[in-house]
Amino acid sequence: MTTDHLSATFAALADPTRRAILARLVSGGASVTELAEPFDMSLPAVSKHLKVLERAGLIARGREAQWRPCRLEVGPLKGVADWAEEFRRFWEGSFDRLDAYLRELKNKEKKHGRKHSQ
Amino acid sequence: MAESTASKSAAANGVGMEVNFTRVFDAPRRLVFKAWTDPKRVAQWWGPTGFTNPRCELDVRPGGAIRIDMRAPDGTVYPMSGVYQEIVEPERLVFTSIALDDAGNPLFENLNTVTFTEHAGKTTITLQTCVIKSTDKALQYLKGMEIGWSMTLDRLEAHIMKAAKGEKS
Repeated sequence: MTTDHLSATFAALADPTRRAILARLVSGGASVTELAEPFDMSLPAVSKHLKVLERAGLIARGREAQWRPCRLEVGPLKGVADWAEEFRRFWEGSFDRLDAYLRELKNKEKKHGRKHSQ
Repeated sequence: MAESTASKSAAANGVGMEVNFTRVFDAPRRLVFKAWTDPKRVAQWWGPTGFTNPRCELDVRPGGAIRIDMRAPDGTVYPMSGVYQEIVEPERLVFTSIALDDAGNPLFENLNTVTFTEHAGKTTITLQTCVIKSTDKALQYLKGMEIGWSMTLDRLEAHIMKAAKGEKS
């Protein structure tokens, strides 16, 4: 498979633990131990999640300290937000048109004098 | 039904993100459902403002194919395909939608779940669209759709400005 940033981002975001870790990082950088605290999970398990997030570019890890603090990288999230925004546009456009079209259909039915039991 | 298994496995297949919509339509449910399942009717509203759908083929049964060519106001054609997973008339539709590039390769695939409920003659639609697969080109594709339309708007605006100037002089 070729490298694909958006897919990697989506895959990384597909896990509730990883989303919770990202949410925690919004309020600032943290160590693995700090990030593991709210979860009933071993440190290696949390480290695995962090690796997925890091590979997807959603977090960066400091080289400076031995405990390698994690911090949020907003770049890929912007891609996801853009994606969501384009879908919103697509569907809102379609729904506006559907709304107008249904009005038209309803008027046509009225004109033809069709009766419905509903 | 067997088709619900298909949608479940698709949903478990690494869905990364979902977008949810709710909208109320002032029409009875049977009419709204028909507008979603009759190809002639879908062609009337599918896609962003100003788009037409010169090709709209819907084989509305579990496993049935969807094939729509959306044409932007600037003439660009955006082909898409899909497969119906679940059809519960007139309350629920589950289908995949796959955007294709010029060569027919998939750019991204979404799983869409649409529900229809009626209350006092009005129909509420909920739509959940989940990303199943995507490529980096996908966002470009979606943005391209938008640009296609705004360029036309710019042209229209320029045309109106010119016409207005012409009237003044």
